Amino acid sequence: MGLAKYIIRRTIYMVPLIIGISLVSFLVMYAAGDPIQLATAGNPSITEAQRQFLREYYGLNDPIPIQYLRWLDHFIHGDFGKSLYGGRPVNEIISSLIWETAKLQIISILLAFFISIPAGVYSAVKQRSAADYTVSSIAIFGISVPVFWFGIVLILIFSYHLGWLPSAGAHGAPYLWPVFGIKNEFLDELAHLVLPVTVLTFANLAYNVRLLRAGMLEVLRQDYIMAARASGIPERKVLYKYALKNAITPLLTLLGLSIGGMLAGAPVTETVFSWPGLGRAYVTASLRLDFPLIMGITMIITIMILIANLITDLVYAWVDPRVTID
Amino acid sequence: MNLLEIEYLKTYFFTEAGVVKAVDDVTLSVEKGSTVGLVGESGSGKSVTAQSVLRIVPRPGKIIGGKVLFNGEDLLLKKEEEMRKYRGKKISLIFQDPTSSLNPLFTIGSQLADIVIEHEKVKKDEAMERVVKALRIVKLPDPEHAIYQYPHQFSGGMKQRICIARALLLNPELLFADEPTTNLDVTIQAQIIALLKDLQKELGMTLVMITHDMGIVAEMCKNVVVLYAGNVMESGSIEDIFERPHPYTEALLKAVPRLDETRKLISIPGNIPNLIDPPSGCRFHPRCQYAIDLCKERKPPLEEVGNSHFISCHRWRELQGGRS
Amino acid sequence: MNLRRRSDKEIKERGASQWAVAWRRFKKHRSGLVGLGMIIVLLTIAAFHNVIAPYPARPHPDAFKPLYEGESAQPPSWKHPFGTTVMGTDVFSEVIHGSIYTIYVAVAVTIISMALSVGVGIVSGYFGRLVDDVLMRITEVFLVFPSLLFILLFSRIYQLGVAEPFWNVFGIKIPVGLTIVVVIVSIFGWASYARVIRGEVLRMKECEFIQAAKSLGASSRWIMLRHIFPNILPQVIVLATLTMASAVLVEAAVSFLGFGDPNTITWGRLMEESLQDLSTVWWAEVFPGLAVFLTVLAFNLVGDGLSDALNPRLRE
Repeated sequence: MGLAKYIIRRTIYMVPLIIGISLVSFLVMYAAGDPIQLATAGNPSITEAQRQFLREYYGLNDPIPIQYLRWLDHFIHGDFGKSLYGGRPVNEIISSLIWETAKLQIISILLAFFISIPAGVYSAVKQRSAADYTVSSIAIFGISVPVFWFGIVLILIFSYHLGWLPSAGAHGAPYLWPVFGIKNEFLDELAHLVLPVTVLTFANLAYNVRLLRAGMLEVLRQDYIMAARASGIPERKVLYKYALKNAITPLLTLLGLSIGGMLAGAPVTETVFSWPGLGRAYVTASLRLDFPLIMGITMIITIMILIANLITDLVYAWVDPRVTID
Repeated sequence: MNLLEIEYLKTYFFTEAGVVKAVDDVTLSVEKGSTVGLVGESGSGKSVTAQSVLRIVPRPGKIIGGKVLFNGEDLLLKKEEEMRKYRGKKISLIFQDPTSSLNPLFTIGSQLADIVIEHEKVKKDEAMERVVKALRIVKLPDPEHAIYQYPHQFSGGMKQRICIARALLLNPELLFADEPTTNLDVTIQAQIIALLKDLQKELGMTLVMITHDMGIVAEMCKNVVVLYAGNVMESGSIEDIFERPHPYTEALLKAVPRLDETRKLISIPGNIPNLIDPPSGCRFHPRCQYAIDLCKERKPPLEEVGNSHFISCHRWRELQGGRS
Repeated sequence: MNLRRRSDKEIKERGASQWAVAWRRFKKHRSGLVGLGMIIVLLTIAAFHNVIAPYPARPHPDAFKPLYEGESAQPPSWKHPFGTTVMGTDVFSEVIHGSIYTIYVAVAVTIISMALSVGVGIVSGYFGRLVDDVLMRITEVFLVFPSLLFILLFSRIYQLGVAEPFWNVFGIKIPVGLTIVVVIVSIFGWASYARVIRGEVLRMKECEFIQAAKSLGASSRWIMLRHIFPNILPQVIVLATLTMASAVLVEAAVSFLGFGDPNTITWGRLMEESLQDLSTVWWAEVFPGLAVFLTVLAFNLVGDGLSDALNPRLRE
């Protein structure tokens, strides 16, 4: 009963946040000027009459508060309007891209999470050993390397130089499959995933490992760890059951934040790998000032971040009995 | 027959600042079934001695020499897996701070039952029954319910009872209690001390009471070992130690508040020395009111001066002579 | 009066020895020293960029000299250590000139976001109650913002309004578009640090010396400035170093995606310009990116070293 109530309360709490974020982005965009003027500025063949028609069509002649309320009304009914370029419904664009973004992110986050556990624990347990220095060095490289540059370097090596993996997109046309020795659609998808997943996993892994290592070092100093050893609990169990559960809680918060951070960071990776996802669409939309599409993607990503945060808090409360949800 | 004999134990901590000689040539013995007080100020090496016996000295500490004979077998020569079977089963340790020594993320039942399972290879239900029994022995109210609760749901005194139950789960032969009352309220302290005394009598186990409180020693122990800066200063029966004490023990005894005396509480002047670069000769000499040049130059050996009364002091005999 | 002066002097003395101890510890931190060395090299390069770079910065026409000499799109050689771009500029020179903008971004973002986070963190932690509630709600809003999306959108929109590419401040040309990016990055980056600082302040508020100062009737401002701030300074310094690293990284990403200042040739901008030629002129992509990487690495190494040196609790 407490749980359902809590989720409902948190969801209600999100409403002003979502409205606030949408209002801010809306005002900033429309303060920049007339979107039709901006969008067609470079096109001499468009007449003033046509512009007027477009403004009428997109409802841009109304006062800004009316426009916002109309947008909000449509948003509540699950409609993001139409793209200024080609007039395709934003909903349709988003639903065609969201899966590609989610696929990339979920695989990378999970991989990073599960690789970081043994690496972080081992590094902390063998503090100051050669293995620890290696893990820590890789981790500091990981948090310092620009994702786009690392992606480019991988493309140069594995696509251009060695020709092992495709450099762009999420799918290749079947006639291209023989180039990489691919036999079916699944392998094709896998081949396209390797480089972007590597880049994203590496970036996430670095943060996770650093946090987990620091957490483990702190936890291993605690009396309850010595008490577990003093009671004859085998070392493996001390580390992976009793210590890890305590060290992993900050990692769980990070997991929530990193989902947010990665979704927001999707523009960078997706641009480098020409990945047909929300991030790349956002970059294109922003460069073209395609306002309805910008609003749509911003809202979808914001909502995903909020849901990720809620899930993180729930998991946190589930792991740590001292945290109560209310 | 001695249950535990420690000979020339050396446990050093290899820190970045230097090697801390936390336990240096500690020698002591514990008779089976007795209660022994291990006494000293904080930093004297009491806790590290207990941790060394169990071989759970935290990093960067290392046992670098000596013998730890338990029932005649040297624990320092055992393989890690063999040693593990001693911990919690034959030798147990109660910690100073019950709050930090219970894992906050596991229920009392699950963390205690795990110990039974690891040692006895029993089913979880059976292990839980054993836990409930142990909790009943330490007089924790409503143990059937307590096993499903988390540490933060108990008071400090109750947590220490749980910790004592954890130490007694498998009826160990030897129990170290490392300042078990220091972090508790005064009234709770008395209860815990009474509980330990009762349990020791009922279960007939051997108890090593680690403390800096001479009052507790006087109340509970038959024999006492006095540590200072990682060295044994004195060991012997409680009578010997109270009546013919080592200069350091004498200073410690003067620091005990007593209701029946009006004299001022005397604290020992100076601080516990830096163990990276300990004082030459007798480690206590910089703070000793009787110190002479010899004390600075040569370390006094631990000599048997009476029936099982050992003293490490150049001037003790002379001082006793003067006194009597 | 007398009492106040003495406590002040004591604070200073204790402060001085604390910094000396920290510096001694830092000196033993090998990777921290390497990072510091790299930053010094970067500062030197930036200070003498006009001397070091063989070609002047754009828009000077000589920047395109390799083009006139028929040496565009050349791979690295002795003459052009990082090669040349398709449009005929020398990548080495452009990276050298870009260093100055990197330092500007690192320093400016850090100053703004530290001012925001330290201000909010101290005030929130010190006053508590309603002030804390309101400030922390605001902070939370900033934390859930999909910040990079907003940074991109805001800089795209505000770049539209730039009329003058440079401000002239005492003879120093400050790029307006880059400054806009700096402000936006700072505004979307301070929130998590404010939470860390608030936590520190909360912990310190219970300390006896703060309570003592309060009971002696010291004003809130005095306590915050003279007692709390000096004590959270170590934490602030570590956070500042990490901010520098992330500022450089974020600005590079913004420019790389084409949302940066069109009038400023930053390292990210260099990468953006040559991205379409990646398959042929890889060097125009790899070297500017390497510069970003090494700079960020340097700040992170120093940050790690400082946090080890300033938080002895975490050391054995």
